[in-house]
This record gives sequence, C-alpha cells and structure tokens, in this order.
Amino acid sequence: MKLAVAGGLVVAMTAFVAHHAPDGARPWFVDVTRAAGVERPHHNRQFDNPYAKIMAGYTALGASASVADYDGDGFEDIFVTDSSRDGRNHLYHNNGNFTFTDVAVSAGVAVGNDDRNASADSLWFDYDNDGRPDLLVVRFGRSQLFRNRGDGAFVDVTREAGLDRYMNAITAVAFDYDRDGFNDLFIGCYFPPVDVFHPDTPRFFPESFETANNGGGVVVFRNDGRGHFADVTDRVGLRTSGWTLDLGHADANNDGYDDLYVACDFGTDRFFVNNGDGTFTDRTREAIGFDTRKGMNVDWGDFDNDGLLDVFVTNITDDYMREGNFLWRNNGNLTFTDVARETGAYDTGWGWGARFFDYDNDGWLDLYVTNGWVSAGPESYVPDIFKLIIRPGVDLADARNWPPMGSKSLSGFQKKKLLHNEQGHAFIDQASRHGVDSTRDGRGVAVADFDNDGRLDMFVANANSSPYLYRNVMPAGPHWAAFVLEGTKSNRGAVGAQVRATTGGRTRLQFVDGGNGFAAQSSARVHFGLGASSRIDTLEVRWPSGLRQTFTSIAADKTLRLVEGERAPLPFAPAAVRR
Amino acid sequence: MMRRLTVWATLAAAAWRIGAGMPQSPADDPSLPRLEAALSSAPDDLRAGNDYRMAIIRTGQYDRALAFFETLATEHPDAANAHLNYGFAYVDKIPTAGSISQVILANRALTEFSRALELRRSWIGYYTRGNSYLYWPKIFDRTRLGIADLEEALRMQQADEAHAYHVRTFIALGDGHWIMDEAEKAKAIWRAGLEQFPDNAALKTRLGATPSALKALINDTYDSSRRVDTNLEELWAR
Repeated sequence: MKLAVAGGLVVAMTAFVAHHAPDGARPWFVDVTRAAGVERPHHNRQFDNPYAKIMAGYTALGASASVADYDGDGFEDIFVTDSSRDGRNHLYHNNGNFTFTDVAVSAGVAVGNDDRNASADSLWFDYDNDGRPDLLVVRFGRSQLFRNRGDGAFVDVTREAGLDRYMNAITAVAFDYDRDGFNDLFIGCYFPPVDVFHPDTPRFFPESFETANNGGGVVVFRNDGRGHFADVTDRVGLRTSGWTLDLGHADANNDGYDDLYVACDFGTDRFFVNNGDGTFTDRTREAIGFDTRKGMNVDWGDFDNDGLLDVFVTNITDDYMREGNFLWRNNGNLTFTDVARETGAYDTGWGWGARFFDYDNDGWLDLYVTNGWVSAGPESYVPDIFKLIIRPGVDLADARNWPPMGSKSLSGFQKKKLLHNEQGHAFIDQASRHGVDSTRDGRGVAVADFDNDGRLDMFVANANSSPYLYRNVMPAGPHWAAFVLEGTKSNRGAVGAQVRATTGGRTRLQFVDGGNGFAAQSSARVHFGLGASSRIDTLEVRWPSGLRQTFTSIAADKTLRLVEGERAPLPFAPAAVRR
Repeated sequence: MMRRLTVWATLAAAAWRIGAGMPQSPADDPSLPRLEAALSSAPDDLRAGNDYRMAIIRTGQYDRALAFFETLATEHPDAANAHLNYGFAYVDKIPTAGSISQVILANRALTEFSRALELRRSWIGYYTRGNSYLYWPKIFDRTRLGIADLEEALRMQQADEAHAYHVRTFIALGDGHWIMDEAEKAKAIWRAGLEQFPDNAALKTRLGATPSALKALINDTYDSSRRVDTNLEELWAR
C-alpha cells in the first residue's frame, strides 16, 4: 500500500513539473546585465616581460564573481574581479530591486591590480566569526584579506593575518577542517611561486601536458581564531605540486568532516580524505584513479538524490581533444564512478566554472557550465600547439618553446550549457531554450537568489568581456524553501553544515559550501526546490559542530534563518528596498 | 583498421577500468616470447605480427610491443610489414593514453604506416593509412590525404580478385567524403560499394540514415577516444 501511495506521489509530482516545463515560448532566464548596472567588462592581464606574447595565451584568466550579503541587508551582493594592471575590482551592492551599485571604491576593495599583482578570484568568508563576511581577493602575486568593518567599509588585514605571501593563487575555499569553530583557508595555486610579472627564469611553464608536477599546488592556512593564519600545508598532508585550478570541499562519506577534491590542469586531480584528526590522506588512487586530463572546476552536489554528495569536474572536450568531463557518482565508500558519458554531462566544450543548482525548483540539481578558452581571430591555434606536442624531447617547462597565440582562437565561441537534470538519470541541454547559451569566454558562474523570489539567478563572469546577469523568470508554480544558517558553536557561517529536507518520503541533501566552483562563489544559502510539495515534512540539520537538529512541518516558499541550537527556524527579514 | 564489436566492447571495458582507477588484469601471456621469436625470424610476416599484437592487447603490455617493434624495424628496415605492425602497435596503445599522448601516438603510427608504404605499396597499407587519417579532426587537414589513400586502395582492389574485406574501402572512402562535406560523393561511393556488396549493413545504414543520424554515426565511428580494432584476421578468413 505504501508503495502505491509513493508511486502516486511520484506521478503527481511528475505531472506537476511537466505542467511547468518549457513550452517553447518565453525563456526562463533574462539577460539584465545592463539594466542591473553590472556590465563593466573584465580585462585580461597583459604582461610586460620577455615571455609576454607567450603568456598572453595562457593567462586569459581572472574573471570571477563571488556572492555574499556583505552588509546583512538580506540581499545578496557580488564582488567581481578585473585583472588588467589598472583594472578596478567591483563590489556590486544589491539595491534590492535587481539593480546594483558599485561601491568598491568607497568600501576600500577596488584596488586589486598593480604592476606585481593580478586578481584571479575572490572569496567571501567570515574569518573572525563576527557574522560579517570578510573578503579574500585571490591573486597572482600577493592575495589580499579585507576585514569587513560592518559599516560598509573594509580594512586590509593581509599582513597582520599572516597571509602576505607571494603565490600565484587562482582559487580558494574556506571551511573548518578541524572543527574548532573557525574557517580555515585552502588556496590553490596555478603557476609555481615564480614572479610571473618579472620572471628570473624561462622555466615556469608546465613540464608535461598530462602529468605536470611543477605547478603551484595547494597551500593550507589554519585559522587560530585570533585573526591569524598559519601555514599548515605539510602538517595536514596536503603538499601537492600540480597546476591547481580549483578546489572543492564536501563531506563525501557523511562522517562530519569535509574532504577535498583538487582539480589540476595538465594532469592528475587529487582526492583527499579528512581523517578527523587534523590531517588528510591522499586517496586519489582508490577514489578516482589517476587521470591525465585538464581539470578546471569542482562542484559538489547530490545530483541523484541518494544522500551522497557527488562531484562534477570540467575538462577539455573539443574536436581535437576529447577528454570529457567527470561526473563522479559517490559510491558511499570513498570511491567514485564516472558517469559523465552515460548521463550526458560529458561534452561541454573547453569547460570552466560550473555549478549545481535547481533552476526550475523540481527537486533535482541541474548544472550550468561555462566554457571557451580564447575567442579571437578566424585562425586556429590548434596546429601551432600540435607542432609543439610532437617535437621530440621538447622542454615544455621552458616558456620559450611555446608558440605565441597572437590573434588566433583556441576552443573559442563555445556555447554555454544549461544541463537539466532528468531525475538523476540524464542531463539535457536547455541553454538555448532559456537564452543562456552565450559564446563569450566564460570562466565562473555564481548562483544566488538576488531578488529573494525563490528562483535562482546567475551571474556569469567572462574573460576579457562583459559579464552576464541572468534573472530567473520561470513561471510561478514549483515550490521552494531557502535557509540562511548561522553557527554558534560551529563556525558562524555554518560552512560544512548539511541540511536534509524530506517531502513526500523523498529526501534531498544540500550543504553550506565555502566557495566551491572555479572563479566563482555562489550564495551560502541552502536552497531546495520542492516541486509540488508546499511543505517540508522534516528538515534535519547537521551542524559542523556535530549537533543535529530536526524541524518538522515547515511551510514552503519562504526563506528562513536557522541558528544553531535555536528550537525553531526564525524569520528572515530583508531590509526595505531602496528605490 | 577493422572494427569488431565484440572485441571493441571488451577493450572499451578495460579502458573504462583504467579510467576508474581499477587495476587491469596482471595476467601475463606465456605465448609472448614464442610470438616474438617467430617474428624475429620472419619480421615481414604480417600475420605473425598481428597475432603478437592481439596477445599484447590481452595483457596490456603495450610498451613491450612498442619496444619490440622498434628493435625489429631497426634491425630489419626493409621489412614493410614490421613497420605496419609497429604503426598498429602505436594505435593499440592509444586508448590507454591521455589525450595529448594519444595525438603523439597517432602521429607516430602514421610515420610507420608511411614507411611501410614507401617500402611496399599494398592495399592494406593504403587502406590503413587512409583510414587513420580520418580519425584526425578537420583542423589538421588530413582527411583529404585519407581520401587519396583510400582512392588508391580502391584502385588496387579493383585490379585484384574480390575479397570480402574490400567493402571497408567503400565505407571509409565514403566517410571521408562525408567528413569533407561532400555528401553526394559519399553517397556515390557507398552506392557503388552496395552494388558490389549488396548485403553490407554498414553501407545500408549510411545510405538510409538521416543527416543527423549520419553525423552521429560518423562521429561515433571516428571517435579517437575509443579503441580501434586493429585485428587483421579478416585478411586471412576464408
């Protein structure tokens, strides 16, 4: 009898979702970039050194976007990087009406580029547990940590925090690996720590296309809770030397400790298991095997709703190089199986940032995938790189051996992908249908509900081009629920918290991540698409401290606050909208 | 290069195991030393080389085969079929390699196929090299070279007694024209093949497919990330 009821519910839900499926008319995303006031373009860094013409082809990076409600007004704001020598970074304050105002200069966070530094990414994280997101600007050079003063301004605390170090950093995530209540910092570095602006050696390029081990690796800074970070990379067992492009953390085996996936260009991705004693173990061989691909992005999400977090990694797939992405389905025993090919998530071009999110609130995590390396002239760079590849005995680490790209294109003008999740079995591209198949050279995608209407919007950072802000205007219907989590014993931002929402006998898992996704950081809010269900039957929260709380019968279609230890969800009240 | 579905499926599964980080069967093949000895005494024996490579594929010892054929071809530089098998040995290793190494292996295979043809013109030589060119993306401008080789193979087989495997030339040559966006030429070749081999399913499928289905079929056929069956046993089938 129960089976019959459950079956009936599934049929009802399917019918409901089908009713709201695309009808061939209006796209569900609208490009509001210009109207919202966030159209300022990104500029690639132009180098001024003997290898500048060569480097130009390999450093078309640095366009990123990171989301947080930095001023606590209930509306998500966006920090966007530029990379040119004189380029200003942008802090787009959300006015609450889908317009934004760039307040970077007055906030003191605009200056992120100069002769010796280039912005590459950024990360919001509350390092001092004062409830206000602080800002790390990730740079080739010396990264910057800005403390949020709470009055709309930030102060540079890089030096006193112990973070003033030369690294060619390109990504960062923050999570509390040792569960001491403070978020620690994991920084991924691309180039080795050579001054790429004025290199004293030509040998700072990858030594191999498939197994390069002369990159910048990973650096781990432990937060001592008193405003200072200490390098614990060796102590925690995370010393690597790959060409890191992205880091992604999540609790792969639901043991309460977050594990780490490291995506590397020019070679092997790594998977590290958190031992729960302040150290990690490299389980790459057993978990995912040793690959030779070009890992670009890591995002974790339970795409098949089996209660285990899976991993999506973009690689390079084009006519001349058919690597295919990884969609690592979590087997539940710290091993993964790649199901990218059979699910249709395999070929998304020269992949970059990608993000799991439920754009249609049907209860299944979809994927938006950016792509494209360099879109320039009509000539292709492929034959040039082919000549390099087949040269016997060529020293790839020597930048002088790499051909300049000039005005040629490489995997350019690629269409972005919006992969709709077909109930955990397959992904079908709906990007064209919904107007999000641009051909700019995408880098990062940040997902957030910028207008608090329950529909997830997207900000896409493009290299050397203007970004896109896509507003989700899907017809009303499918239900949703969102939660803003606040730790008390746990880290204040509750990074690492897992939330399980059960409706109609079906449980969905989300978690608070600390900046997963290449060149982007999405909202820290936990968002559930609920389909036809207007109520969450049971909501279970597992806080990073280990505390478990269960709430019942929560009405859908609203955002609520969950404070660790509080007996019930609290109302979420955005500030009045400024007109 | 001849495709046989059963062999391909087995080897694709092996390739998948490698990708998933699981170990391949470590089982060695005790016949390898014997096969190597036979080849050393008859380096131009195409069939012996084929038997050896098939044994190598079963054990996954691709580097052993490459080292062996390098020595064999060096010691017997005029043995055309030693070079041909050497080229096939590179192709055999491709599915186990990374995407960049695949390019290097494929390019080295072509070098050996060309050397074999320089030493001795043969149908299998032209068919093999011509078919290999079709696996290269259009950006490398090699499809046209493949068409020229396959046209030469066609001329040679028309002057020869008929063999069942000759249908492969019609299929590949048509595919080459289709890749070059010469759909009418492709269909003409496939139709000519069907006249000679009226029961051939591959030709019928191509001629009956919609453009989108044909595109998918050709893309799948020449997907360089998948194993190519290099077993030549059809040459000796009765």
